[in-house]
Amino acid sequence: MLYRRIFQFLIVYIFGILFLLIIKFIFSLSDYVIPNILLIIETAAQVFKEYFFDVINTLSVTILGQCISICMAFFVGISGRKSSWIGSFIKVTAYNIQAYPIVALAPIIFILIGDGFISRLLIASMICYFPLLLSVLGIMATPVKDIEHFYIITGQMKWHLEVKIRIFENLSKLTTVISGSATLAMAGTIVAEFIAANAGIGYSIRIALYQSNLAKILIALFLIGIIISVYQGILEVIGEQIKSKWSISKKGTIL
Amino acid sequence: MNKNKSNNNVLNIRIFLFLLTLLLLISGAATVYAEKIELNYRLKWLFNTSVAGDIYADAKGFFDDAGLNVNVKQGSPEKNAINEIELGRAQFGVASADQVIRALDKKAKIVVIAQLLQINPMQWIYRADKPKIKVLNDLKGRNIGITFGGNDETIMNTVFAKAGISKNDVNITGVRFDFTPFLMKKVDIWPVYRNTQGVILKEKLAKQNEHVFFFNPADFGINFVANSVITSMEMVKNKPDIVKKFLTSLLKGWEAAMDPANEKVTLDIIKKLDKADNDKIRKKQLTATRKLIKPFASVKIGTININAWKQTQNIMLKEKQIKNKVNIENHLIQVNY
Repeated sequence: MLYRRIFQFLIVYIFGILFLLIIKFIFSLSDYVIPNILLIIETAAQVFKEYFFDVINTLSVTILGQCISICMAFFVGISGRKSSWIGSFIKVTAYNIQAYPIVALAPIIFILIGDGFISRLLIASMICYFPLLLSVLGIMATPVKDIEHFYIITGQMKWHLEVKIRIFENLSKLTTVISGSATLAMAGTIVAEFIAANAGIGYSIRIALYQSNLAKILIALFLIGIIISVYQGILEVIGEQIKSKWSISKKGTIL
Repeated sequence: MNKNKSNNNVLNIRIFLFLLTLLLLISGAATVYAEKIELNYRLKWLFNTSVAGDIYADAKGFFDDAGLNVNVKQGSPEKNAINEIELGRAQFGVASADQVIRALDKKAKIVVIAQLLQINPMQWIYRADKPKIKVLNDLKGRNIGITFGGNDETIMNTVFAKAGISKNDVNITGVRFDFTPFLMKKVDIWPVYRNTQGVILKEKLAKQNEHVFFFNPADFGINFVANSVITSMEMVKNKPDIVKKFLTSLLKGWEAAMDPANEKVTLDIIKKLDKADNDKIRKKQLTATRKLIKPFASVKIGTININAWKQTQNIMLKEKQIKNKVNIENHLIQVNY
């Protein structure tokens, strides 16, 4: 699965580069507008190491941001799963916060807490948390009637049991959503770095943009793509393992 | 019956003549319109006082008078005039010297036809309660703001090299558009465009009874050229008359906009497009812009300072921003207008 993801990314990336080179050829553009292949390779040799560590830096914030957003989404999803007043209040608040564009909120965040690690983390979490929340809310608010019925009529149903049943029954869906949200968390971190941070690949891309250096941007995109593919692949593998452990080791009696 | 027929004929002839006249008028107007040459002119920055002459030429119809239909487009950090010229989306544009030299290093086929700013507006603001920077070594021990990747980084690195200041002698802070670190005194010396942000910050601090100085590297012999008008090599070669017409109209606009006698008209034109600043700020920005565009009465607007361009090229070479000399003098064309 991991190799397939990387391979698929490479195909997309190569096609992207080829497309740019065709445009360059058709319109006779200079290397300033679209760099030639040699310039891309030369630039890669110069900045690969630096950018690799920048992407790792960004990824570390991404992972942490994603963990926070998963916790937030589960907290809100579990708290807001009931159709009670408090449940609907939590849902409305969660939806409204997301209605504000993050690029408008970002400057306020940076003024309040500066352009360091915390700002990047907060923005990354905010960007990737909403899709997670929607899925978690959807899952948590939908009863698994066949199973839950038994516990309800025997009087054994507790809130954490209800949550466990719903998570287990929707594990594949949750794994896919969490894996998919990694891309959003990465995008969120890069946006934060792009707007106002002093580290990470988003910050490096901004510097490259100042200098209109498309070759550097292409290298950055390559590294972001590869590393996010690996990360997503790992998440999927972990999800698969959790699922098989839950169903095999407990022989379906985990609940 | 016959009388009726004759009346109808007269009416038909009249209608025919009316339609014919209308057709001639429409085709005449279309011909006049078609004769106008459509051009796109991409500025480097948003519509504000720093582009006063560009919007003055447009608003006062100087381009129209020359038979040109020029679409003056505002710029932004993401919009690059050089890219647009190469892609054929613009015929003329404004670019900073570092952009031009970087593009030439990558074989872009562009030329500079006028240098708008005779003094680089990129300067550093600092509070007057700190010792004045009289010699470059006075920068030692200060917290200096730099936009990493921006041309202010290149300029400041050149300042350091000239003064023999190492990075350990100063504190460097990466900056963005947000002035908060300077206002909160976290950074001592902050990079600004002297004629726009510089005016705003000076005003803001004056309200708090704080006074400021500006550190201008040019005062210490570091001349780094700023905004200039560019076009493609092909345009200069194949359509020199259009280049001349465009530049003549544009510089006429700049001459008029920088003339203190036209100050009110100029400010009114700017006000229509720049909603961000107030009248007082815009007036001060115009005064500051005048000093950068036409520092002396004898300076003809648009004059290309070849030595400053060569120095800019050398700075960039030294800072490893370009691989080889681009022979910049071969890409500077002083069009007589």
